[in-house]
Amino acid sequence: MKTADTIASLTLKIPSIKPTNTVNDVAQLFLTDDFKHLLSLPIVDKGTPVGLISRYDLNKVYLKMYGRELYGRQPITQLMTKAVSVEREQPIEAASQFITRNIRFPIMEDFVITENGQYVGVGIVLDLLKAMERRVLLRTKELSKAYQSLKESQAQLVQSEKMASLGQMVAGVAHEINTPLGYVRNNVEVTQNLFGQTKALLENYEQLVALLMAETMDEDALGEQLGLVSEMSEPFREEGLLDSMQDLFKDSLYGVDQISELVMNLKDFSRLDQARTDNVDINKCLDSALNIGKNVLKYKVTVKKLYGELPPLKCSPSQLNQVFLNLLTNAAQAIEDKGTIWIKTWADGGWVHVTIQDSGKGIAPEVIKKIFDPFFTTKPVGEGTGLGLSISYKIVEQHSGQIKVASEIGKGTKFLISLPLNPESVQKNPASTARLDSNEVTEPEAD
Amino acid sequence: MSDKPTILFVDDEERILRSLKMLFMGTFKVKTTTDGREAIEMLKQETVHVLVSDQRMPNMTGVEVLREARNVSPNTMRLLLTGYSDLAAIVGSVNEGEIFRYINKPWKSEEIKAIVEQAAQIAIQLGSASKSAPSKQVAAKIQAEPSISDEAEGLKILVLDEEPSTYEIIEELIKESKNIHWSKNVEDAFAHLSQETVAIVVSEVRIQDEDISAPLKTLKRYNPNILTLVLTSFQDTKSLIELINYGQVYRFLPKPIHKGLLEKSLRAAMQHYRAMQARPELLMRHVVEKPKEAESTAHRISDKVLGYLKKIRARRPDSSEAVH
Ligand SMILES: Nc1ncnc2c1ncn2[C@@H]1O[C@H](COP(=O)(O)OP(=O)(O)OP(=O)(O)O)[C@@H](O)[C@H]1O
Ligand SMILES: [Mg+2]
Repeated sequence: MKTADTIASLTLKIPSIKPTNTVNDVAQLFLTDDFKHLLSLPIVDKGTPVGLISRYDLNKVYLKMYGRELYGRQPITQLMTKAVSVEREQPIEAASQFITRNIRFPIMEDFVITENGQYVGVGIVLDLLKAMERRVLLRTKELSKAYQSLKESQAQLVQSEKMASLGQMVAGVAHEINTPLGYVRNNVEVTQNLFGQTKALLENYEQLVALLMAETMDEDALGEQLGLVSEMSEPFREEGLLDSMQDLFKDSLYGVDQISELVMNLKDFSRLDQARTDNVDINKCLDSALNIGKNVLKYKVTVKKLYGELPPLKCSPSQLNQVFLNLLTNAAQAIEDKGTIWIKTWADGGWVHVTIQDSGKGIAPEVIKKIFDPFFTTKPVGEGTGLGLSISYKIVEQHSGQIKVASEIGKGTKFLISLPLNPESVQKNPASTARLDSNEVTEPEAD
Repeated sequence: MSDKPTILFVDDEERILRSLKMLFMGTFKVKTTTDGREAIEMLKQETVHVLVSDQRMPNMTGVEVLREARNVSPNTMRLLLTGYSDLAAIVGSVNEGEIFRYINKPWKSEEIKAIVEQAAQIAIQLGSASKSAPSKQVAAKIQAEPSISDEAEGLKILVLDEEPSTYEIIEELIKESKNIHWSKNVEDAFAHLSQETVAIVVSEVRIQDEDISAPLKTLKRYNPNILTLVLTSFQDTKSLIELINYGQVYRFLPKPIHKGLLEKSLRAAMQHYRAMQARPELLMRHVVEKPKEAESTAHRISDKVLGYLKKIRARRPDSSEAVH
């Protein structure tokens, strides 16, 4: 341990008094410049501190009638009190605890510092207090630094959750893209092949025409060419090949549209900036989240949309998309086999409202209080980080909005998000149509 | 018409089916369905040489379809064609589907054609061989199962893993420890393989922090008789898929090792090894894909191991390659 951290740093090397010194001797000493600032003097016998004499106690004696005459020549041990002594190696914190517990109040003495029980000096309580104050300050700085770095690592975690869910999303979308990409590519290759055959056929056909138009008709060559052309056109006649080709073209166009739709929606999600945009249609945001989440939803969930007419909103669409995708993913994960998700939107009194409701397993009342807490998850390790809802909560909060939940075990869960049209001037709470008070989760109806 | 082999495609996206049908129409009798259950019914009704299934579908997953197909039509060659490579699908396709190839969407038409045609050739040969010798496997299954240590009688096993637990569990199961060899590094394993006729290799993919899938793939190419059980804790899906296509891994076993699963897999491997000895044509099922020029494995295999591999090839009972 560094000296600065121990009592040693507070040591004043004060010459000690012997037990045989008289009261008068000590009184004289207290008046000298060296000891002016001391409250007390240590009494040491052959190196071992035996007690303290405080200025206060001495003064009390002298203030008495005939005090000097009665006590002046007596040994100082008559007036001494027990010394509070600490070892010089003691850390300042521990020592200060010990000293405050044992010293007299109000403070009228100093404490004795020893090394292996032998006297080395005295320490002043005020110095100790100053040292403690410095240390507390230092600690506070350390603490705030630790807090800062904790906050940063928390932010990193949030970021990595974003990346993780982005990774999941990309994997899902990759699958969605790979399927149309699969058939579009194959269709192109098949038709390319067929195009080669068509070209060859055309060339032979032209030769046939040339033979027919020739001034002197070569019947053998003509017959041969006719046979060749008819053989080459055989596959085009059978099994409705040309119709099938039409289908392949239609499919390919459909596939390309699917891919471009996904890519467009992905663009909305991947924007890492949080810029607010005017004129955002929340219904479109929901559709885009549905499109991106298709991979999770497709096989187990029937989505029922009850969209109302919504005024355009000023918000950050990439962030709200993330909220919606989180809620949709949670809903899908709460559904064990097959189920329904209802998405309802409406607007009133300066607010836009969205409910996302599922027919999943529901949330127990003792759990529901915790679902917005960061890292709270009931999902197995590797499946959930427990950050989805806490991030969603933050995002909605940043939009001056509200997010509420109602759930019933075995029946389902309903999340309500209310967003103000004008975040700068939110005064009142959302209108009464957006209450979510009962635990009852009933099937929503269109208005 | 009927001399064309039959191929069955299962995919929930009809556009995929239409597209594949056009590609194979000329060379195959093409059947398609969007429903796994219907596919199984079709397999029961008629001879299908090649089955190609998607993985993610609403009612039955691809792995489920392939597993059922294995039961109802063992001679059909099974392939997975999917745009989604999650770990469960890969492991399931091997352990339950015993697939021939794992193909990713989007595919190249020439590549899928080559793979499917090779599969069809194998299925045709398997079919004619099994007509002349009715399946012994089925008969064997009816009898009560012997203990795994009886089953292992006379079969040599090589364990390649740095951790002792794999070896310890196998030793506990088989008891006959003289037939089990434990190597902690690749050189030692291949030295052993070049001297002994090993039936089953149980191997980790990472040894001394290096990916050893290259030597594992080459081993299978040089000696297709050996069945490999691959232990893995890492989840690089691309490398696992390559182990299927280029290494014909017999089973994937996730780490930490589950004793029951290891026992089941070992037992299946032993039975399959014996079945292959009785019916050598079954070997054709394990033909691996030729490695691409670009990723020639040579630079990832040490010269020493390559030397051993040559010896291993020489040790093969039939020194010609099974199918080309
Ligand atoms: N629709 C829902 N139905 C039932 N339970 C839910 C629903 N939504 C959230 N929960 C519960 O709230 C918990 C926290 O949800 P949150 O989205 O914050 O994290 P997570 O889904 O567990 O993990 P992550 O979102 O990081 O994948 C969930 O683990 C689940 O128990
Ligand atoms: Mg979640």
